[in-house]
Amino acid sequence: MDYFWQGPASLAYGSHLRFLLGSILVSFGILLAAGGGSWDITNHLLNRPETFFAPPHAILYSGVASAVAGAVLLVVSSKNVGKIVLPVKLSIAGVALLVSAGPVDFAWHLAFGLDGLLSPPHFVLVSGMVVSSLGGLAAMAYYKRMSMRAEERFHLHPVFIVLGILPLWLSLSGVVDMFTLPFSETRFFDFNPDPTMAVALASTGFPFVIAACLCGASALSGRRFGAMSLAGAAFVVTGALTSILPADAMHTTLPFYVLSMIPIVAADAIMSYRFWRPFAIPVYVAGAVLGLTFFMLYFPLITHTYNEFTDQDRRVWPSVTAEIYFGMMQTLYPLLIAPAAALGAVGAIAANKLVSQRRIL
Amino acid sequence: MPEAVVSGVTLSSQQISLGETLVISVSGINKGDMADMQIVSIGFPNLTASSDIDVLRHDFRQTPFVIERGDEVGSGYTGANVVLAQYPSIEAFSRPWEKGATYTVDLQVEPRVDGKFVVFVKSVAFPHTWDSAHYPREGLVDYQQEFVESYSIQVTKS
Repeated sequence: MDYFWQGPASLAYGSHLRFLLGSILVSFGILLAAGGGSWDITNHLLNRPETFFAPPHAILYSGVASAVAGAVLLVVSSKNVGKIVLPVKLSIAGVALLVSAGPVDFAWHLAFGLDGLLSPPHFVLVSGMVVSSLGGLAAMAYYKRMSMRAEERFHLHPVFIVLGILPLWLSLSGVVDMFTLPFSETRFFDFNPDPTMAVALASTGFPFVIAACLCGASALSGRRFGAMSLAGAAFVVTGALTSILPADAMHTTLPFYVLSMIPIVAADAIMSYRFWRPFAIPVYVAGAVLGLTFFMLYFPLITHTYNEFTDQDRRVWPSVTAEIYFGMMQTLYPLLIAPAAALGAVGAIAANKLVSQRRIL
Repeated sequence: MPEAVVSGVTLSSQQISLGETLVISVSGINKGDMADMQIVSIGFPNLTASSDIDVLRHDFRQTPFVIERGDEVGSGYTGANVVLAQYPSIEAFSRPWEKGATYTVDLQVEPRVDGKFVVFVKSVAFPHTWDSAHYPREGLVDYQQEFVESYSIQVTKS
């Protein structure tokens, strides 16, 4: 066994624990920021907040502060060798976007009052979240490659996988939300997406993102059972906390939402069954199964996207969201099965290639 | 289902002189289930500019806003059928509006011409799924094709 293997990171970074802490802070920060952002959307739907100083914004910008601290730690730990590796560069670039978006967002609120979901500062903010979270996850994977034990070198612990994948998943979902939800018309601007384009993007983007993130989680764990299910459970918990529990009218839908875990666990089992690992088919199947869950995992917000397409005159009030959604489950969802499964398979293949080639992860 | 009711309208005087102000207090209640949103609308058909209206105080969950003449507004108790506002009004709303909760708004308005000065009052709860989601249920209809209660005072030359 290769007990004396020295990875490039262990040569480069004497203070590797600081490197790990930095990557954790970046990912945790983006997790807070993305969770706060999701809660903010729900808060706008329910309470129509009128000030920038709302609790979801406090969570969001606390997350930004954590990500900034993490990026600083990553830079400090890189200083020892005078070399900044790609994960650190990504973290710095993402955090720079986040930090620049804050004051612009505040100024935007002052100038135009209540803002929509898609606005220039929000887009910069979410772009920063995507880049930072990718940097945080890549830094964790890079740290793992410092491992002195060769057999563990490329497999992240499930806790790190969840901590790294969840913010990336939420951030990518935020990008799709931004260009699909009809929440971007304000008194001054109308950035609402075209309903047909929004449906096309949601029906393809969400399945791809789900499958890519969950199959990425599985691949990072060496396709061992558990990592995908844990990441899925973390997403479901986050969705429940930020989109369902804040709305009294949605509480009865919580058991339905939790049921989304069943296909995720099934896909995890398919991916991890050791006799199937040499074959590509399980990856396609697992990806397709995961892609199909998009209509459930993105409940309740996805109701607004598809409602704009099916009946623009109907308002999706919180108390009637479930009724409208379950109507769509019977009429619309069957038509979405094929594209969702196909894009899920594509997402799974993309994630597997990304992880196996170790370009970023 | 929510049930919107205007529970109280108080005018500070039945007759004022030009240059004086009228204070109007309007309370609304939801007698049904929690509403995702309920509004109380106070319209001024004799005014042409909202600058003559001031919100003195209110206890609604959100800040009341002004609808100017010419603004796009929903009609027929939906947001879908858009019409242009024909006169200024104030819309006070709570989102959500709890079952049994009462909210009040006090306004001050200064009429610019003498004669009869009319105030229209209504309340609408959303989702609007039955007739009791709006108040009043019958009577005078405004430009939004929605029922209103009409109040008036006499404005005399000073």
